[in-house]
Amino acid sequence: MKVWAIVERSQAGIRRVSLEVAAKAKDLGDATVLEVTGVERYSSLAAVSALANEAAAGAPDLILIGATPTGRDLGARLAARLGWAYASEATGVSVEGSNAIVGRTMYAGKVRATVRAALPAVVSVRPGAFAIPGGAAEPQVKAVAADGRAERLAFQRFEPTAAASGRVPLAEARVVVSGGRGLRGPENWKMVEELAGLLGAALGASRAVTDAGWRPNEEQVGQTGRTVTPDLYIALGISGAIQHLAGMTSSKVIVAVNKDPEADIFKVADYGVVGDLFEFVPAFTEEVRKVKEKG
Amino acid sequence: MKILVCLKQTPDSTVRVKVAADGRSVDPSGVTWAISPYDEYAVEMALERKDADPTTTVAVVTVGPARSKDALRQALAMGCDEATLVDGAAAETLEGLAVARALAKVVDEAKPDLVLCGRQASDDDQGLVGPALAELLGWPHVATVTKFAPAEAGPPGGTNGIDVWKEVEGGHEVWRASGAAVLTVQKSEKEPRYPSLPGIMKAKKKEIPEKDAGALGIEANAATLETVKMEPPPARGGGRILKDGDMKQTAAELVRLLREEAKVL
Repeated sequence: MKVWAIVERSQAGIRRVSLEVAAKAKDLGDATVLEVTGVERYSSLAAVSALANEAAAGAPDLILIGATPTGRDLGARLAARLGWAYASEATGVSVEGSNAIVGRTMYAGKVRATVRAALPAVVSVRPGAFAIPGGAAEPQVKAVAADGRAERLAFQRFEPTAAASGRVPLAEARVVVSGGRGLRGPENWKMVEELAGLLGAALGASRAVTDAGWRPNEEQVGQTGRTVTPDLYIALGISGAIQHLAGMTSSKVIVAVNKDPEADIFKVADYGVVGDLFEFVPAFTEEVRKVKEKG
Repeated sequence: MKILVCLKQTPDSTVRVKVAADGRSVDPSGVTWAISPYDEYAVEMALERKDADPTTTVAVVTVGPARSKDALRQALAMGCDEATLVDGAAAETLEGLAVARALAKVVDEAKPDLVLCGRQASDDDQGLVGPALAELLGWPHVATVTKFAPAEAGPPGGTNGIDVWKEVEGGHEVWRASGAAVLTVQKSEKEPRYPSLPGIMKAKKKEIPEKDAGALGIEANAATLETVKMEPPPARGGGRILKDGDMKQTAAELVRLLREEAKVL
């Protein structure tokens, strides 16, 4: 059983989800860890062309890749190029005979499914689905040079979202602090940011908030935004529309703060605070600061 | 410019989804059907281009059962010019790659300059069809698109290509496509428009040609992906509610619980 893990790198090194995928590949069989190199900006054709050539020579049974935006894009097109089965956003992967058995969510998290993918297959894996064993050495990575001749698009420029630099990416964050309409206006995000900063958390938002332009679209959690599965999800002033719940209900621990005791968000919360978030959040931030300082 | 939007009819995102008695499909009773949300953004994005340049035409296509005609009609009522349904027995159960094959046949015939798809359908959440269609056509694709416009250097109408805004972590990348391309849409600049009354009347009268998937040479039996089980997500709830207290005490209590009980701080 030959299993390939394709890894991605951020400025801080190999991405966490890539390490998770590499560990899973090792669990499943004879693992090779690969990285596409030589491009500053990912675009599918150069990467797919290089990896497809590599796969034709190396004949893996299963290719795993982290379900980041890049991983989902690359995984889908690579599977199509190879004519292999493809499953996205896996939360579990095992092998039975000539099939991969893949656990994944469907209907934006409203359904959990088990699918059987005939090998060879490409599977993108949801961040946080697999553990990185403690003390594991960083995997040895085989560089695969991107095939620049295959490129058909021309990169023009990058337009950063204001104040987004250095933030934890939402999809991979282990802690997410999300704000909703209960925060009353974009000017009140300072306290959300302060709490998120202390917790090393990514910022999320309800759709009402991104639609109103209070926060950038990329922070939207839920059906037409990101699905997140952190260890801790803190929902501030979010009522809990079904589309929002679908995107965060697989979080390990959910904390909800809302002044309406009937809010739907409390139906999925492990800890609910009924009260005024403008009083609660600063007090909570102080308490978190105290325990963080103690270490 | 000629734009083709590929869409799928899926359960409306505001409804609960029930697993059927067979434990491997969704119970269709009581389901309200709608255009999958990302596909609806794709329709809106195409129509925004048509608003800006009235020589643009927007066609829509779907691969699916007969009920999918309602989704096409909705797109026509929003302002799209024509619609095609690929149906037949084979179209009911096709997986992503086969759907992309059927769509590629339609693209070969219709010869659009640009194809838009939602980034993923809101039922299977796979996100395969857009990239797979581009692959089969031999076209480049750009994913998670939030905007496109005629290339800045080019004349109006986009004959010099288009600039495409791709949402990435921390901002947008702008990519230029000088020829035909597939875009998978994250969100349109405006919310999808509601159909106007004249739009609805016009859409009612429009002929929607049907193509049989089998006749296009698409087969359903080559499935490489099979759903073996579906279940609702584990029930949550029974959480601890803290209320009526002083917010400072509540905050301290919550920090204690998160540390000692949940062990996530």
